[in-house]
Amino acid sequence: MTAGEAAAPGDGQHGQHGHLEFDTSMAHQARIYDYLLGGKDNYAADRVAGGKMLEIYPDTAFTARANRAFLGRAVRYLAGEAGIRQFLDIGTGIPTAGNTHQVAQKIAPESRVVYVDYDPIVLAHARALLTSRTNGATAYVDSDLRDTGKILAHAGEVLDFTEPVAVTLLSILHAVVDADDPHAIVATLMDAVPPGSYLAISHAGSDLIEPEALQALYDSWKGRLQQPFQWRSREEVARFFAGMDLAEPGLVRVDDWRPDSGTADTNRAAMWAAVARKR
Amino acid sequence: MPSGETPGSGQEESSAEPTVLRMLLGAQLRRLREASDISAEKAGYAIRGSRSKISRMETGRVGLKARDVEDLLTLYGVADERERAKVLALAKRSREPEWWTQYNDILPDWFETYLGLESAATAIRTFEMQFVPGLLQTEGYARAVTMLGHQTSAPEEVTRRVGLRLGRQDLLTREKPPRIWAVMDEAVLRRPLGGAAVMRAQLRRLAEAARLPHVTLQVVPFARGGHAAASGSFSILRFEEQDLPDVVYIEQLTSAVYLDQRTDVEHYLEVVDQLSGEALTPAETMRFIQQVARDAGDESI
Repeated sequence: MTAGEAAAPGDGQHGQHGHLEFDTSMAHQARIYDYLLGGKDNYAADRVAGGKMLEIYPDTAFTARANRAFLGRAVRYLAGEAGIRQFLDIGTGIPTAGNTHQVAQKIAPESRVVYVDYDPIVLAHARALLTSRTNGATAYVDSDLRDTGKILAHAGEVLDFTEPVAVTLLSILHAVVDADDPHAIVATLMDAVPPGSYLAISHAGSDLIEPEALQALYDSWKGRLQQPFQWRSREEVARFFAGMDLAEPGLVRVDDWRPDSGTADTNRAAMWAAVARKR
Repeated sequence: MPSGETPGSGQEESSAEPTVLRMLLGAQLRRLREASDISAEKAGYAIRGSRSKISRMETGRVGLKARDVEDLLTLYGVADERERAKVLALAKRSREPEWWTQYNDILPDWFETYLGLESAATAIRTFEMQFVPGLLQTEGYARAVTMLGHQTSAPEEVTRRVGLRLGRQDLLTREKPPRIWAVMDEAVLRRPLGGAAVMRAQLRRLAEAARLPHVTLQVVPFARGGHAAASGSFSILRFEEQDLPDVVYIEQLTSAVYLDQRTDVEHYLEVVDQLSGEALTPAETMRFIQQVARDAGDESI
């Protein structure tokens, strides 16, 4: 499937790095996500697109919530068990409860978090709401994920790249089409951090949903969405972690990654997730 | 942020109950009733009343008694204790006399409504063209703004008006303060209300406020040219309850406009989002405030 083409509006940005235009007449991934999570920072076009997704695939909202919950568990694992104190959170999105720095700094107040997003409005929300109350730090980088040089240069002002860093790419890589080589982007980012660093990814899974439903989703996004969308298979997502050691339980559905005890409702979300350590 | 200090805003018959809170609660009850597919007659019967009682409650024209609200929530199948407690707390607040009732004689009821909403909001986004947001004003600055509209008032009345304004600021230091996100035109910082000394103190207050974790300040500098909010100042109040829509507040000369229809609110949300993206970042704004203070002869901020 040529997903990048299916999500036609992406063609305009594909290959271009930089800002996203503020255009509320088009749906926007971060705002659809806000809508699915019950937030109020979304517009009519986002609700139409989100509503359409719910119609085609009712577990969309469950998946969005599961992804948000994964962020909490992954960052708790990274700041706790893995002892990470530096976070590079790319694809920040509209702030909601339990953001990366809050989770990390609750465990280790000295944690430093750099948020990266390419949408000026999302970034304005992040600067307003994602502020540290501890002796740690939060910083914001205005950059496209594809502009790894810019991300690393700015993050380097706050993070120490001789010490381990956790790079988190949650629900963002499916907005990068194959033509932009997301695997090379991830490899470039991980090359910049030392051994003992971590990579956390969640990614919409093309093999976790009926092919007809996936095609219907792609069709529903045509001309409606500001970003391209390309869901990937388990095998394609696994390649992001090539040469790294996956933390238990490996690459699984986002709701199956170390679920909190007492969570019965799992094995349902249409998203792959894993956390891995760089050798 | 609103002042309620527009000239000629004399008191009309002042209602002790925050109208919009009642409207919001009423709308929420209507949504719950419709979602559970229960007729107004049946709901009215359940609370020992009629269809028109339900209609009056749902349009916010009457106060909401705790017992009625409890019975309706049960009828509508709202069993979650937290959800019930939230609605009941709001219903209670919509009945209780608030701290500002002591100012009833100088408080127009359209502004009293705002005070009710402001104290219930969990987030307040505001755009200001001319004045420092009311919640962040110093006493001297508040006095200067008050004097603009009440030059002929007795000193005692001016003092009470300033007291009302400063009383609102208590919410900044309460246990769970609302998030304040204010975007100001550069004119707000440059216009020396109350004279140079008052303005220097006000700039210091702004710099202090900007350091609070729940306060975000952004300035749109003159150098940015025209901006998205050509029409003027406004505030958007957001409430924690998912059911309650944002409310836009626009103050006019002798009254105020409240918007809570999604299509109306969204227009203002878009403008304030756009402005937040265009304005200086919070860090740049802090340096900008310091620069304006230096221009005004204060090196100490």
